[in-house]
Amino acid sequence: MEGWLTRIATNTCLNMLRGSKRRPELTVSDLSDDESGWLDQQPAGEVTQSVENNLVAADLADRLLGTLSPEDQQALLMIDGENASIKEVAEATGWSESKVKVRAFRARKKIRESMEKLLSYKGKRAFEQK
Amino acid sequence: MKDKHIIEVVDSVAFASLSQIELDEMMIHTRECASCRSAFDAAQLSSLVIKERAQVTIEPSPFFHTKVLAALREQQQAADNVPAFMRLWKSASALVSSMALATIVLGVLTFVAPDPATASVEQTASLDAAEAVIFDQGDEQLTYEQVLSAIYEEGDEAR
Repeated sequence: MEGWLTRIATNTCLNMLRGSKRRPELTVSDLSDDESGWLDQQPAGEVTQSVENNLVAADLADRLLGTLSPEDQQALLMIDGENASIKEVAEATGWSESKVKVRAFRARKKIRESMEKLLSYKGKRAFEQK
Repeated sequence: MKDKHIIEVVDSVAFASLSQIELDEMMIHTRECASCRSAFDAAQLSSLVIKERAQVTIEPSPFFHTKVLAALREQQQAADNVPAFMRLWKSASALVSSMALATIVLGVLTFVAPDPATASVEQTASLDAAEAVIFDQGDEQLTYEQVLSAIYEEGDEAR
């Protein structure tokens, strides 16, 4: 019963995500002031925890996830966000375990590359301001 | 890991699942490798924002509860509109079908299949008839062969 409900909920969410428009790439100009400011505040490894910052981080994640396919978003959110195992994601989505691994790897790589671009822009801007 | 680039590693597993030893090894490598350093920082921040995104609780619309209840009520009304006999049949169809099947099987066994007890009674009756043939011969003396043939003929017929 639980598996059946999980599968229905997963498919409904995927259908909703497929309906939303996918952005090809995220650039700094797409970020809001809050998100840009959040990135400026982030020295790697030191995270300022506050409700406002957490919400800004979640919004930024939404933007980054918007560059992925719905299936890749689903895999990444379940594995990296909710600490689900590969097997659990495979059961919830009906995909094979190797497909889940490939999707998660691809999604992680794309998100990391987008974040790297944003951080490099931040670094350049800080250098120019000096 | 000190001399090995870590980009593949940070992409292949969730950042949060890395052990402290693995993180320490990565940090040592990133001190000497600028490209891995930027990849490591980006992976760390990506993991952080994804975690924050997963913790956001999405509230349903205020009308969600009302809509679900209305849908349930509609289904209930649709079920109530079915005739009483159909509702009874839906709940008791399995029981009635199994009872009917059992009755048919019992009827077949009773009226069609031969009863072994009846068959043995018929055989006994035929043997009695053979004895009657022998004894009905009256005072006439029968030979031994005549008696045997009369018994075995009746016996064969009975079989």
